[in-house]
Order: sequence, then C-alpha cells, then structure tokens
Amino acid sequence: MNILPGFIHKIVPYAFKSSSNLGHKQRSYGQLRLILFSVMIAIAMAPVIITAGLGYYNYKDLLQKEERGQMESRLDGSIKSIEAMVNSLTSVVLFVARNDRYNELTTDNNLRQLFVRIKRQYDFFADLGVIDHDGKQQSYWGPYDLQDADYSQEQWFNEVIAKGVYISHVYTGYRQVPHFAIAVSNLDPNTRKIWVLRATIDAITLQKFVNTIKTNASDDLFLVDDEGYLQTSSEHYGQVLSQLNSGIVPGFQMGLSHAGENILYATGRITNTPWTLVLVEKRYIHHQDWTTFRARLLFIIISCLFLNLLIVYGLVTMLTRLIKKADEMQMTMLKEAEHTDRLVSIGRLAAGVGHEINNPLAIINQKNGLVVDLLLISPDFEHKETIFGCLREVDKSVERCKTITHRLLGFARRSDVHSERLQVNKIVEEVLQFLENSMMHSRIRVELQLQDDLPLIVSDHLQLQQIFLNIINNGIDAIGKEGTVSIMTHVAAGEVQVVIQDDGHGIDQEILPHIFEPFFTTKETGKGTGLGLSITYGLIKKLDGDITVRSQIGKGTAFTITLPIQGEENDTK
Amino acid sequence: MTQNEQSNPTVLVADDEIEFASTLVARLKLRNFPATMANSGKAALAAIEQDQPDVLILDLKMPDLDGLEVLASLKENYPDLAVIILTGHGSFEAGRQGMELGAYDYIMKPVDLNLLLVKIEDAYQSRTA
Repeated sequence: MNILPGFIHKIVPYAFKSSSNLGHKQRSYGQLRLILFSVMIAIAMAPVIITAGLGYYNYKDLLQKEERGQMESRLDGSIKSIEAMVNSLTSVVLFVARNDRYNELTTDNNLRQLFVRIKRQYDFFADLGVIDHDGKQQSYWGPYDLQDADYSQEQWFNEVIAKGVYISHVYTGYRQVPHFAIAVSNLDPNTRKIWVLRATIDAITLQKFVNTIKTNASDDLFLVDDEGYLQTSSEHYGQVLSQLNSGIVPGFQMGLSHAGENILYATGRITNTPWTLVLVEKRYIHHQDWTTFRARLLFIIISCLFLNLLIVYGLVTMLTRLIKKADEMQMTMLKEAEHTDRLVSIGRLAAGVGHEINNPLAIINQKNGLVVDLLLISPDFEHKETIFGCLREVDKSVERCKTITHRLLGFARRSDVHSERLQVNKIVEEVLQFLENSMMHSRIRVELQLQDDLPLIVSDHLQLQQIFLNIINNGIDAIGKEGTVSIMTHVAAGEVQVVIQDDGHGIDQEILPHIFEPFFTTKETGKGTGLGLSITYGLIKKLDGDITVRSQIGKGTAFTITLPIQGEENDTK
Repeated sequence: MTQNEQSNPTVLVADDEIEFASTLVARLKLRNFPATMANSGKAALAAIEQDQPDVLILDLKMPDLDGLEVLASLKENYPDLAVIILTGHGSFEAGRQGMELGAYDYIMKPVDLNLLLVKIEDAYQSRTA
C-alpha cells in the first residue's frame, strides 16, 4: 500500500516511513507523534510567519518612505527659507549698489551715512566697501582700516565681476568674529566701468536664522561649505568653522551618530552660495507606531503559535491514540484468528488420532470380550477370579478410551446439521428439564431471563441441545454444591445471544484462552475428557455461531453463545 | 433358510482387520450366531453370493471395494440383506451415505457385543417383518 511516488519515497526519512506503515511491528508511537506534531505545526505556522514577515517588511518600508518623504520636504522648505533670506540680504546690497551710485558712494561720508541707515534697519551689517574695477577699495566704512585695500588678485573679486553676485564662506577675518560677505558688481553708466559693493555680515545672523527654521528640537540643522567647514554651529558636529569630520555625503542617507544612535540625514545645496544645508534627524520618527506594530505582530504570532500548539497537540494525541487503538485491535484480531486456527488444527489432529486409535481399540475390546466369553464357559481354575477382575478393568479402560475417541470424532449418530426453525428458549427449557434431577441433587438454583419475543432461529435442534447441555453441565461442575446458574437470552446486533453464567469457582485468566482446546481439563484424571468445551466450540462454529467466555476467580464464569438468526441453508427461502 | 425359525440369523463380518473380524466371529459363534468373515469388499460380495447371510456387518474402509461400494452393489442384488455399518474410521458424511444406501444402522467401533447383538436382532427383524 505504497502511495508515495518514488522520488518522494527517497527523501522521506525512514522514521516517517516506518511510522506511517500500517501495522508496522515496531511502530514507535512517540516518533509518529513527534513527526505528526512537527509537520502539522509547520503547516499551520508557515502562512502566519510568511504573512507576518511580509507585513513587517512592508510596514517598515512604508514607514521609511514616509520618513524620507517628510524629511525631504522639510529639507526643501528649509533650503527655500535660507535661499529667501540670502536673496533678501542680496537684494539689500543690490539696492544699495544701484547703477549710478558709484560716485556718490566713493565719497566717504555718503558711504558712512548709508551704512548708518542700513545698520539702523539691519544691525548685522558689519562693514561696507566700494571697490573699483581694478580691485582697489575706493571707499570703506567699517571697524577696520581697509581703505585702498587691493582685491584684484582675490578669487572672489574675479567671481563677482564675472557673475554679478558673490556670497562668501563664513570666515573670521580681522575681528576674529565669524562673518561672511555679499559682494555685487555693477556697471557705472558714466565711466562704463564695473564697480563692486561688498558688504560683510555677521555669521550670527545665519545662525539665528537657521535656529528659527529648525522646527524640531531633537533635529540638527546646519550649513557646511564645500571644504567641509561648518558655517553655522551644529548641535552634534561642532561649532562654526570647525571641520565637519563625520562622513556626511550628499543626498539622503542613513548612518550612525557620534553617540551611536541611528540617524537619517539629508543634504541640499543653497543656490548661489557655497553652502550646503544638512538636516540630521534621529531615525524612526514614527518609532512609537513602529514599536506598537512590532509588539502587536509579535503578540499575534505568539498567540497563533500557542493556539496552534494546543490544537495540534490535541489532534495529534487523538490521532495517535486512534492509530494505536486500531493497531491493537488488529493485533487482537490476528491473535484471535491465530487462536481459532490453532483450535481448528488441534481439532483436526485430535480427530485423526481418534480414527487411528479406534481400530486397535476395537481389537482390544473384542479380544478382551472373547477371553471373558471363553472364561465364562471354562471350568474353574486357579486365579480365574483375578483374571476376570483384570479383564473387567481392561473393559472399563476400553470404555474410557472409547468415550474419548468417539468424542474426538464428534460423531454422534446424528451429528449432521438439520436446519429447522427453532425457539431457543424452548431448547434451553428442554435441557434444563433433562438436568433437573442432578441440579436438585446439587442444590443448584436456576435463574432464567429469557426474552419472550425472541425470534426463531434456523439451526439444528439436537446440536443446540448438546451445546447448551455441555455449557450448563460445565457450570454445574464449576459450582459443585449450592449455587446459581443464570441463563439469559436476548437479541444483540441481529443475532441471538444466550448467556450462561455460573457463580462457581471461576477460571484462571492464564488458562482461560486454552479452555476450548481438546484434552484441556482442570478436572482430576478420569473425571473429564477435556473434550466437552472443545466439542461445544466445534458445534457452535458448525452452526455459524460464536462463543466467548469471561471469568473471574471466585466469582464465576459466563459463556456467551451467539447464534445467527438466519442459518445458511435457509437463506434462499 | 430352514433353521431360521428356531435359531439366530446368520452373520457375515466384512472387515479388513482380520484380528477384529476373526475375534468377533468367534464371539458370535460362542453366542450361537452362525458367523463367517470376509476380509475385503470383493470377498464379502463373493461370500454373500455363496452363503446368503441374513445380516452383514460391514466396515467402510477396505482395500479393494470399500463399504459404500459394497452397499451400492448389494442394494441392486440383495435388497433384503440387513446391513449394519461398523467402522472405526467413518466420517460422518460416509455414515449418512451408508444410511441412504440402505444400511440399517451405523455403529462406531469399538462396540459392546451385547449392543451389537441387539442391533443384529433388530436389523434382522426389520427385514423379515
């Protein structure tokens, strides 16, 4: 009964094959149970774990995207704000440096007045300088003596000439205070020459502005220039103008902070400036959601696992118990079949022995008879009486042997099956009438519980008589003196059952399986042939019936005879 | 035939067990039953033809012709012969067939001679009646 295809057969472990093989002799129920349990748990848990895994990663991905999106939009907003601020500063400088003001501004007083006016509005302006097209500072107002400074070789000067606007890095300069410069160039309409207005602004302005647009206290927002110097102070990466030494690279990145925390950072260029804005956030802005989700997921998985374990354990226990029971039943059936088989073959052997012994026994019998006959007509001689006695004993022994051989052959004068419709109760009563005297003598009471409407059965009258007689006799023998024989008849599962019970000495459990074997007797030698129950068993089998026995030492024995209602011969009618 | 009224029926014992048959014959003779024996089926048929016995005591298992075959042939030629089957081997089925073929009775060996004598009388009476 191999239902597994070949290739699967090869990969299935031996343990499983041996466990799944029906009726396998050494079936290990523990192993079977373990295999069933593991397989069922695996099958039950796999979808849960796969679904949970998918949910976990999808949700994580979603949260990360969300985080990134939010961060990018915040960074974008911040960049725009800074750009707007830089633009407004540039506009102020541009406004001051109107086309036609070169001459006006190169006059010291005018620049000073302008500076005072501007300073009144925007106090972060540190100084103002007007530079001619040769790079020479023509006019300057500020805390340093920078009159006539030559900027022609400076890179920023060339840049501002080329581009019109230049915004510098933050630098400390003479005052040792961080600041940056905005320079604009313009064409003087009179001289047709380019001139430059340069304004220095305190870097603290930048710092303040960045601080104002930083919305989340736990975030870090700062500007850094192309060389990696901080343009504004960072909470975690150092003060202004210190070198940024963490490996921050452009774009949206994940990384670890100095403190070892998971961080996300994003960078963006501020147009027309040498600055890059860096936004650093602690990772998992939705940390709360995430932990809740994870906890719930874990709870669901563990609950599922627990529930599955419970259910599968129950199922597997039930299944294994059923299989075990089925196996045991099979074993019992096999044993019973074996037993029946043995009884049949012993019976056959016994019958054979009976046949073989019968003929020599007949010769002994006749010879003995002849000797007796001859002695009877002989005159008296010495020891005649002794010889007579011996011959009588021989005759008795032959009689005993004859009883045995005849019973072995199961050969009453009418031992064929004569099927007729019979009332079982009536037969029981007939047998009891027959036994009345001997039961009265032994003071044995009879209790009858005969079902009144018992259906007629098709069977053999004489053989049923013989069967009941044998079993009841057996009970009487078991009781000895004083006791009760109970006889019950009823219908069970479409068959007639006759239960004959005695309250005698009972039969030992060890010898119970042997009582239907020929020559098995517990009576003393010479009193029982050990054939009664064996013959009864044979007769019942011949009538397609069955007999079972239950017994308990000291309590008694109950034989249950089951007879089919419809005998085979009359089936066609 | 002439001594029928005043004496016992004549008996033929057909059995291949010579010791059994001879002893039985001897005992029958002691009880004034004229008895002879035959040790095979064919011998039995020949003896019947020659001696015309009243009662045949027939074993079922014999070397040449078995008891049932003897019975079958007797049924045609000697329907009046009373036959008692006396066997140590007989199966139940053989007994039933023997009765069907006209045997008067069926007895298992070993048998008490007194019982056999009763059967012989009965069988003989049933035929002459």
